[in-house]
Amino acid sequence: MNVQVGDSIPEWVMESVRPERMRTMAAILRDPNPVHWDRKAVAALPFGLGERTINQGPLGLSYMLNMLMDWAGPTSVRRVTVRFPKVVLDGDHVTAGGRVTAIREEDGVRLADCDIWLSREGESPSLEGTATVALPES
Amino acid sequence: MADIQPPAEEIRALVGYEFPGGKYTVAHWENFLLTECTGSEPLPDGLVHPVVLFHMPILGANTSIGGMFALGQAESDFSIGIESYDWEIERPLHEDVEYTVTGRVTEADRMEGPRRHDRPGYYDRIQFRFELHEPEGDFAASSTITWTYRRSAA
Repeated sequence: MNVQVGDSIPEWVMESVRPERMRTMAAILRDPNPVHWDRKAVAALPFGLGERTINQGPLGLSYMLNMLMDWAGPTSVRRVTVRFPKVVLDGDHVTAGGRVTAIREEDGVRLADCDIWLSREGESPSLEGTATVALPES
Repeated sequence: MADIQPPAEEIRALVGYEFPGGKYTVAHWENFLLTECTGSEPLPDGLVHPVVLFHMPILGANTSIGGMFALGQAESDFSIGIESYDWEIERPLHEDVEYTVTGRVTEADRMEGPRRHDRPGYYDRIQFRFELHEPEGDFAASSTITWTYRRSAA
């Protein structure tokens, strides 16, 4: 795999964040927080989000993982560190993106360090962080 | 800061707290549904989608999201914020493998944040670290969760 510092990682797009997936996720996670499955609970908060459920942080992170795995393979992700400056809401169209910041070798494995992010179109990132990915040999 | 409950000392004393720990096996159905939630197709060869590194360590350590809220004496579900998630994967995770899970509080402190309603805003920052080991004892993965617990002044 020919990768250079500065390369962009092919984007991964979630056309519309679906509330039913948040509900399934809440059940799997045993997550009691109603902001992920009760639109009226979100509307009652003093944040002006309207009647839209808030995507779980790990789900937004998973879109960035999907981008990395589509790019370098399903066992490639070695580390992700992500912060959450803004929430992602049901119905949002979000795009995961990334850029290679360094390439190094560790125990005979070629690793790419990357900046990664998840954004609504035209906005600053809702999620942002770094990732380390093992690069395929060819 | 004296009128904020719980006292900051109680929060700081959480450092070193260990969850009971335990085992966790990801079944095919769980991985299938989890992966579908991410918008991805199932991964090959029984690989578990790495997003499992949020809930699997928590449940495997014999706690829960609600239990972690309660441990930090959250004022409500709405008072919790995410600072960061840090996941390390030494060995890819697979379905139907019984992983041993441990978890503990690694950092806990009271912080001063942005002012709210013309008064200082305070929150507690609590960091949890979970580790997963394969049945043979090899380290597989870790999850470090850092949450904030917003506090109201009395």
